[in-house]
Amino acid sequence: MQLFECPCPGEDPHPGGQIGEVQLSACTPPGGVPGKPEVPGKPEVPRFLPVLCCALPPGSRVPHGHLWGSGGFMLEEALFGLLFGADATLLESPVILCGLPDGQLCCVVLKALVTSKSAPGDLKALVKILHHLEEPVIFIGALRTKHWAEEEVENVHSDCLVALGHRGRTLAIKAGWDESGNLVPELREYSLPGPVLCAACGGGSRMYHSTPSDLCVVDLAHGGTPMDPEEPDGRSGGLPPLLFPASLSICSVVTLSVSSRAPKGSAELLALSAKGRLMTCSLDLNSEVPGPAKMTRADAGQRIKELLSGIGNVSERVSFLKKAVDQRNKALTSLNEAMNVSCALLSSREGPRPVSCTTTIAWSRLELQDVLMATCLLENSSGFSLDQGWTLCIQVLSSPSALDLDSAGSAITYTMPVDQLSPGSRREVILPLGPGENGMLELPVTVSCTLFYNLREVVGGALAPSDSFEDTFLDECLPTVLPEQEGVCLPLGRHTVDMLQCLRFPGLASPRTQAPCPLGATTDPVDTFLETLREPGSEPAGPASLRARYLPPSAASIRVSAELLRAALEEGHSGVSLCCATLQWLLAENAAVDMVRAQALSSIQGVAPDGSDIHLIVREVAVTDLCLAGPLQAVEIQVESSSLADMCRTHHAIIGRMQMMVMAQAAQRSSPPDLRVQYLRQIHANHEMLLQEVQTLRDRLCTEDEASSSATAQRLLQVYGQLRSPSLVLL
Amino acid sequence: MSHQTRLGSSEPRASCLDLWREKNDWLVRQAKVAQDSGLSLRRQQLAQETLEGLRGLLHSVQGLPAVVPVLPLELTVICNFIILRVSLAQGFTEDQAQDIQQGLERVLATQEQLGPRLERGLWELWDSVLRASSLLPELLPVLHLLAGLQAALWLSTDRLGDMALLLQTLNGSQSRASEHLLLLLKTWSPPAEKSDAPLTLQDARGLRDVLLTAFAYRQGLQDLITGSLPRALNSLHEAASGPCPRPVLVQVYTALGTCLRKMGNPQRALLYLVAALKGGSAGGPPLLEASRLYRQLGDTAAELESLELLVEALSVTHSSEAPQLLIEVELLLPQPDPASPLHCGTQSQAKHLLASRCLQTGRAEDAAEHYLDLLALLLDDSEPRFSPPPCPSGPCMPEVFLEAAAALIQAGQAQDALTVCEELLSRTSSLLPKMSWLWEDARKGTREPPQCPLWVSATHLLQGQAWVQLGAQKEAVSEFSWCLELLFRVTPKVKEQGAPSYCEQCCRSDVVLQQLRAAALISRGLEWVASGQDTKALQDFLLSVQMCPGNQDASFHLLQTLRKLDRRDEATALWWRLDAQTKLPQEDTVWSLPLYLQTYLSWIHPPDREALLEEFRTSLLEPCDL
Repeated sequence: MQLFECPCPGEDPHPGGQIGEVQLSACTPPGGVPGKPEVPGKPEVPRFLPVLCCALPPGSRVPHGHLWGSGGFMLEEALFGLLFGADATLLESPVILCGLPDGQLCCVVLKALVTSKSAPGDLKALVKILHHLEEPVIFIGALRTKHWAEEEVENVHSDCLVALGHRGRTLAIKAGWDESGNLVPELREYSLPGPVLCAACGGGSRMYHSTPSDLCVVDLAHGGTPMDPEEPDGRSGGLPPLLFPASLSICSVVTLSVSSRAPKGSAELLALSAKGRLMTCSLDLNSEVPGPAKMTRADAGQRIKELLSGIGNVSERVSFLKKAVDQRNKALTSLNEAMNVSCALLSSREGPRPVSCTTTIAWSRLELQDVLMATCLLENSSGFSLDQGWTLCIQVLSSPSALDLDSAGSAITYTMPVDQLSPGSRREVILPLGPGENGMLELPVTVSCTLFYNLREVVGGALAPSDSFEDTFLDECLPTVLPEQEGVCLPLGRHTVDMLQCLRFPGLASPRTQAPCPLGATTDPVDTFLETLREPGSEPAGPASLRARYLPPSAASIRVSAELLRAALEEGHSGVSLCCATLQWLLAENAAVDMVRAQALSSIQGVAPDGSDIHLIVREVAVTDLCLAGPLQAVEIQVESSSLADMCRTHHAIIGRMQMMVMAQAAQRSSPPDLRVQYLRQIHANHEMLLQEVQTLRDRLCTEDEASSSATAQRLLQVYGQLRSPSLVLL
Repeated sequence: MSHQTRLGSSEPRASCLDLWREKNDWLVRQAKVAQDSGLSLRRQQLAQETLEGLRGLLHSVQGLPAVVPVLPLELTVICNFIILRVSLAQGFTEDQAQDIQQGLERVLATQEQLGPRLERGLWELWDSVLRASSLLPELLPVLHLLAGLQAALWLSTDRLGDMALLLQTLNGSQSRASEHLLLLLKTWSPPAEKSDAPLTLQDARGLRDVLLTAFAYRQGLQDLITGSLPRALNSLHEAASGPCPRPVLVQVYTALGTCLRKMGNPQRALLYLVAALKGGSAGGPPLLEASRLYRQLGDTAAELESLELLVEALSVTHSSEAPQLLIEVELLLPQPDPASPLHCGTQSQAKHLLASRCLQTGRAEDAAEHYLDLLALLLDDSEPRFSPPPCPSGPCMPEVFLEAAAALIQAGQAQDALTVCEELLSRTSSLLPKMSWLWEDARKGTREPPQCPLWVSATHLLQGQAWVQLGAQKEAVSEFSWCLELLFRVTPKVKEQGAPSYCEQCCRSDVVLQQLRAAALISRGLEWVASGQDTKALQDFLLSVQMCPGNQDASFHLLQTLRKLDRRDEATALWWRLDAQTKLPQEDTVWSLPLYLQTYLSWIHPPDREALLEEFRTSLLEPCDL
């Protein structure tokens, strides 16, 4: 606590006029703040502030109105001396009373205060603790408990000090004399209904205090309870043994002030409610029991005012409750809709789903760079609308890089709130798939879409307390109402983006799709390397011929029986040669499929995302020695690329398509032609041997040193090549 | 222009760094402007604005992950922020420790040495940072500044062990043998900042000097209080030789004076005190120290003169200069302690000291005048200036009143003494037990008599003495009787049960009670003697001897009265006892009594004790010889 000099008008406004300071030992309130569980690790926001007021000895020359205005009061001599000691009395020093949130009621004699600079004392020794209320102190005030004639009142000072705690514990102190005539303090504690929001004292013996549900008045005058047997007669009035709060039927008053201009025998209160209503309440204190219930008949206007104010109170409360109910209804409606959507989605395993998400792939140019974009189209064909609370989550999962064996694939999740998707409407979301910062696009990429319903967002909003006084209990029960998981998760679909979808064909002349080579004018480092490798003196050659000489393209091939393909592709491809149809089928999800169809191509030169070229050749072959019945008609799909990795990716993509086709066909027909089992076995045995060799080579690769491992790797590459061009045909 | 081109450059980080750096430099310059601006209000506002600017800047810098190129700037901003904050708040708080810790963690984050984020003490953090800093030489200057701030924080919280460890590491930890902090501080030489480094409010070398002075002064003061004087002298000399602001220099010189006085070198002490007085406006402590020195030398006139000057010096409220926006020596000094020799109290305390010294040295007129001044100073609330009472270190307020009354009586102003006593009683009348109606109850014998503070009895005693001086015997006797009435109600055993909150504990001892009773009885007896009622006098003297056997004055008065009444046998017995007692060494109990009582006892001291004893000896021996 620091004291500053109040600059007088005309003085030099010097802010450093500190005249004293003192340290109050502030402890945390016992048991934390009521109604709020302790949150570990989070600093608690102090809800209670210290209460300060100033007690003056009688005879201080301070204007009366000024005193009340600043929260001070004058105490009767005996009480003053008793509470604050002989020194304060002798010095006629004002005393600062301080009620702390931990329940301490302390006092500091103002004239004993010094600044730590001028005369350091023990700063804590100047503070005297008068009492400990054991709950946060809300109010300190002073009362006149004796009744005085009107003309005397001006000169009579308060003879009772009261302190009010948050939970309603009230302390009253008066000065009294014991049997031997010694001055002793008379202390009494009462319990008033809490929690107390604020309180106020007028000049008389009444104290007003406000709780969330009521505004009460108590009278500490001794005359109120004459039947105390222990009090000896002839002694000046002690404190009443019990207090009887009388209700004034006004709720949630947060600030209260007793007006000093009321005529004798009545009181005027100025009150501010929690909702910001400013009220004046006039009370007639001459009636036996204070409170509007016993208003005199003559004061009918007063009564009507009182009733109106009561109506105002009620309507305030009603509007609050209505708001809460509305909010809860809205949450229930939303929950119901969500329930319907979930049921519809989960029950329709077969056929078109009521809410679907389809993904398409396209290249587009962003900031001087070609980017592969995925377009997810969320379509609501159900009868319900997707409302607040729904979120579309799209997870993009790339496969681990082939070069880095340790790395797991990266996964990115995008979440977008679905705001009001009414039945029949659709929403489009475009996401970049790559290439990423390192310029690499790790194929295949899996895009999976999920719908998520956030329970906390919808239900939590309705249950959250909006009124700090009334709904603290809701705050506590919220965690139990909500289930463990915070929402409902509905998978919509999954889409795999492979090499075949990402190929581009600059050779197919069309101004629209013509994409420049991603690597642009820069020379390929491989070409540069080959250039340097060239023997001196030999003729200069173009990069293409150098590549052809030093880096023969990797190749792989797959054979499928023509019959199988024809059966699978029969719809939509009539009138086209089987090779063309196969190529169209492979590139069905590529943007260039229309060109391929228009030009009826059976072989095509494309560019992979990283710029290397890919050659797809589809041709019909006859396989002679497999079938007993004679040569078997088959289609061979050959992949050639200068980049081994891209060749592998394409091969992998084609195999994937084939697998899916064979699975579908196998379900429909089952009449494979007669096969030469002996021949099949031999091929099978060959493959087994190759696989075994792969295994041993890989083992060796792990143990060998660098020199010999390059030879092993060379061999491994050859074996892989053999495996990739099998003599088997898919039937 | 250069600003423009940097903004346009394609490296976003570089331009960000430059922007931040410019902001930092601008804020530092603004703080300097605030420092120089004369108007205190404007100055305060500017400084606060600068502090907020630095806080905002720190937030932006720390919003991004820590990277090595930004670290020097970031640490500089932290240092500037701490310096400004501490100098504005005039002290370190826990926040600064957190700021430093955050800075250190950011440094470690760039080194990827943060490791498991366990609970690490600040010292462990410093250890890892300083080890990592060998990899980052560009960080060193600002790290030294931050370490200086850390050392200041530890110095102000008395964590000298941590401070020593930190300094050892900063000095290059070979010198582990040297544990002495003063030496460590002296050998620490922070690297000079580069000319292109971001601006700082205070450089590491300046901070080092401040730390050195503050530590030496603290150490010296502590040694002075604990009594190891040669060490204190060394440290204080060290403090005085460093760069030292004037108010601190005054304190150091005063402490040197105290130290030398205690070591028995009054002349050298005086030299330092004179130097301190020349030093500046805060002349209180050296003047008080000078008065102690003169008292020790026995030069009362000079002692009182210095006390008078002290009162005068303290009456001037010297407008304290606005502190610099830097870490200054004053910030690192310990909280002023009343036990410290440099504590000179307030004006009223000094005035009280002056008045009581006057009374003790027998200058009654001066004492009376000073006491009246003091009371006026304390009670006059029309004056807006604040003047705290001598409490809690001095005697409590009622005793000051009693001393004033005693001084007035001593000076022969009995009427004024009566006024002072009346004032005391009227001001505390509401606290006194209600006597009138209790009187009857007490006569019935049903109720215990009320307890009354001792100083009320003492007031009546002094009032009686004042009446004696005015020649009003009747009033005097009635006051003494009233005083005795009150004194005999006090039962020492139950004294704790009374009203708990008076300040009597300082004067309420059994010894005081006994002496008061004896004094009142003797005084009344003397009055009876003066009015010729010797039997009554004899009764009182007898009682007083019984009350307080150690009080020889009572015995002398009794002896005289016995002789006057010609009760030879009793007189002879008493004489033998007295004669034996006077041969024993006198106990100096008188000096533990309150000053007003000491003064009072001097009044009722029989003037010619030796002569009386001698007279008796001869009169007793004569019959034996015969």
